[in-house]
Amino acid sequence: MTTAEAGPKRRTGVPGFLTAHGWRVVVGLALVALVLYPVVSDNLYYQNMIILSLLLAIMGSGWNIISGFTGYVSLGQSAFLGIGAYTTALFAVKVFEGASPFWFIPISAVVAGIFAAVVGSVLTRTRGHAFVILTIAFLFVMQIVTLNWSALTNGNHGLSLPLPLWNIDYQNWPFYYSLLGLMLLSVAMSWWIRRTKLGMGLIAIREDESKAASVGVNTSVYKVLSFVASAVFIGAAGGLYAYYLTFIDPRGMFDIVVSVQVALAVLLGGRGTILGPVLGAFILEPLNEITNNEFSGGNERLIFFGGLLALVVLFLPRGVIPSVGELWARWHGAGKAALVGARIDRPAAVREADAKPEPAHGTGRQLLEVRGVERSFGGLRALDGCTLEVEEGAITALIGPNGSGKTTLFNIIDGTMKSDSGEIRFDGAPIDGLPPWERAHRGIGRTFQITRLFREMTVLENVVAPLRTFSWRQLAADAVSGAEAQRAQELLDFVGMRAFAGQRAAALSYGQQKLVELAQILMLDPRLIMLDEPAGGINPTLVDHIVEMIRELNRQGKTFLIVEHNMPMVLRLCDPVLVLARGSCISRGTPAEIQKDERVLDAYLGEHYVAEQQAGVR
Amino acid sequence: MTQFVQALILGLMIGGVYALLASGLTLIFGVMDVINVAQGALIILSAFITWALWKEMGIDPLLGALITTPAMFVIGWVIYRLTIQWISGRPASTSVLLTFALALVLEGIMGLVWSTTYHSSTPGYVDESFRAGGFYFPKAQLFGCAMAIGVLAALYMMLTRTWLGRAIRAVSENVSSARLVGVNARKVAALTFAIGVATTGAGGSIASVLYPFLPGSHYQWISRLLGIIVLGGMGSLPGALVGALVLGVAETMTVTYISPRWATMVPYAVIMVVLLARPQGIMGAKLREDVVV
Repeated sequence: MTTAEAGPKRRTGVPGFLTAHGWRVVVGLALVALVLYPVVSDNLYYQNMIILSLLLAIMGSGWNIISGFTGYVSLGQSAFLGIGAYTTALFAVKVFEGASPFWFIPISAVVAGIFAAVVGSVLTRTRGHAFVILTIAFLFVMQIVTLNWSALTNGNHGLSLPLPLWNIDYQNWPFYYSLLGLMLLSVAMSWWIRRTKLGMGLIAIREDESKAASVGVNTSVYKVLSFVASAVFIGAAGGLYAYYLTFIDPRGMFDIVVSVQVALAVLLGGRGTILGPVLGAFILEPLNEITNNEFSGGNERLIFFGGLLALVVLFLPRGVIPSVGELWARWHGAGKAALVGARIDRPAAVREADAKPEPAHGTGRQLLEVRGVERSFGGLRALDGCTLEVEEGAITALIGPNGSGKTTLFNIIDGTMKSDSGEIRFDGAPIDGLPPWERAHRGIGRTFQITRLFREMTVLENVVAPLRTFSWRQLAADAVSGAEAQRAQELLDFVGMRAFAGQRAAALSYGQQKLVELAQILMLDPRLIMLDEPAGGINPTLVDHIVEMIRELNRQGKTFLIVEHNMPMVLRLCDPVLVLARGSCISRGTPAEIQKDERVLDAYLGEHYVAEQQAGVR
Repeated sequence: MTQFVQALILGLMIGGVYALLASGLTLIFGVMDVINVAQGALIILSAFITWALWKEMGIDPLLGALITTPAMFVIGWVIYRLTIQWISGRPASTSVLLTFALALVLEGIMGLVWSTTYHSSTPGYVDESFRAGGFYFPKAQLFGCAMAIGVLAALYMMLTRTWLGRAIRAVSENVSSARLVGVNARKVAALTFAIGVATTGAGGSIASVLYPFLPGSHYQWISRLLGIIVLGGMGSLPGALVGALVLGVAETMTVTYISPRWATMVPYAVIMVVLLARPQGIMGAKLREDVVV
């Protein structure tokens, strides 16, 4: 499969005018230059500039994990700089007076990590705009507490650290090389995270958080971990920074402008890339120094930084590295546009199995039981005492007029939404209190009415993303193992989408996305497959393919619950059929029974129609 | 008890002013999903303009609102056209970064023009008070609060009684549906942003009398305003009023009974508690989010 291999290579986000090897050489040379610089030059001005650049690069790498990978913009990241700085300072000044502050750098990292874990476990319960506001609030709360808790922190007057005692010949080398080491560590951590299950889950959260949860990603743990990972090296850097400055105060350490500079550096270099934050820091910090020297006061710097940030947000939202790569690709026509229009293969399963339609038979056991579920949105009752069962081994249809509560019921069954009251049992056990990912682990897989794939991932990555269990060890496993890739290829083969494995999901047509979404939830190996309008908005041939695939999966033992408006498909495929109207299940029966049921006609067409029919009026 | 009632009176009067200041922020968020972090800096800008008019031309600071309101309207419109309109459709966090950038630029410009020292508009009545029933009603606070409520009432009438108001509410409910029924959503967004910023005109004029200010004061204002609209329910105008009164009282009570040093903490504490316990705020409705609009 040439396409499957070509895809990911194009997506590394590295500009294509050098080979991967070429880039390694460039990065290696830059690193050697950084290592040698203090030895060959004794210019303290430039040493200071590099030290501050390294500091910004470490902070940027951290910020990039929570805001670039996970997609949660934080403006509170400089709080961890302050926490680290005060930890080291307090240990060096109050606890072990006379000891070298270097000893306390690891403690700073740990304390920052603990703060991040505690604060993060609370903050990451929110989404979208709430998170960014909370991070700002967190930063200012830290600043105010540090200011007011004078007994510990000396408040407004700040803390003085011991002066460095080493031989003056070594200049600032200890600071320089410690920060360089920290930066390498934090970049290595970013690189490592990006290629593990953890990293893949973070990207999935960024692309579509509730979808990630519904395919088994434990989003709570992932988010908290990414917040902790984004904080520890900033904490350590804060300790070094405090010692470097030898004086810290609350306003300088818990400074929101620093947070903004960090965001700016990463946006400039390339959000979500590994080296973007470093590149951005080494562009921004020298600019900072230049403006410092060119102008006297802080006002010009504010205008400069604010203006630059506005320009980057408006005109370079993806940053230097991805934008340059994209431009290069465009000039050199390195796209694979043609393939997106390629023909979908006839599903493999259908080619193999003799597609003889036979009615599915349930085992008589109830796999899913919904009891008296209610759910309101403001004044609207979407579900009003809904009770129904899904028999194991059957293909059950759920039909009903628009607004009857079908999708809401799906959302409540898979845990995307909470019910107001009522009970849901899966395989005999209540699942109401479980988060979506646990329901996925137990064997519930669902597709969405409007397809929801992780748009920036490839088709293959999309299919590999679902997780059937959660374990701490799994987090560190390779994002895509060989066995998983193999299984994903098989599933893509099954739905006829193998040729598209290397494509970005966003490039696919709607019908193709539906097929990939089906393959994606099959990766969960679910016992109950819930399809929300599988035939909606796709052409009749593809509908036939989907019907055949459902039959084949059912023969393999999968239970289905299908919401669908395409009546011919429902009548030919499903038995029993459940009818939902005004939030409750009003009828259940074979397709033939449902077609004759007056309550169903009434629900769909209204009383007048039924009355007219009975009166013989056309 | 007297002390408590006096603190309550002061808190409610301050809350009225806060309500006006927060109304623009919540209006802009409700209609276009933009968290305008620059709102604090725009308040300070209006305060500086008011101060300059009072100092140079002797115009009463509160009456200065008649000049600052249209001025801020124009500034808001220009800001929208130059920056905000290019990020429509991007996540709210993008708007935070962009408007934060604007706030920094404004802070820098104000620092260059008026220097980074404290300013304050002090007309003759600033130290005078009415007395009623044994309680003090400082004139500046009372006039400021009355004016704020007047402007808020006008804003509310505009939103509920005019065609423009209806269009604004339509866009805030559902942009694509509003477009379908013939509302020019972009024009409405520009006007809403300009109106939202215009509220900082009167608000900043009042604030210039009540609080000393310098360019960096905008952080304090924006955190206060965020606290208010988070508490009231983001996007809700009645919510902003309730949130402002609660926050005003909470601040004066903290100053009276704990310490002025911790009063700055109140907005952040409010933000944290509300966003974690009841993210939709007091007046915000919890609506379904799964339907694509």
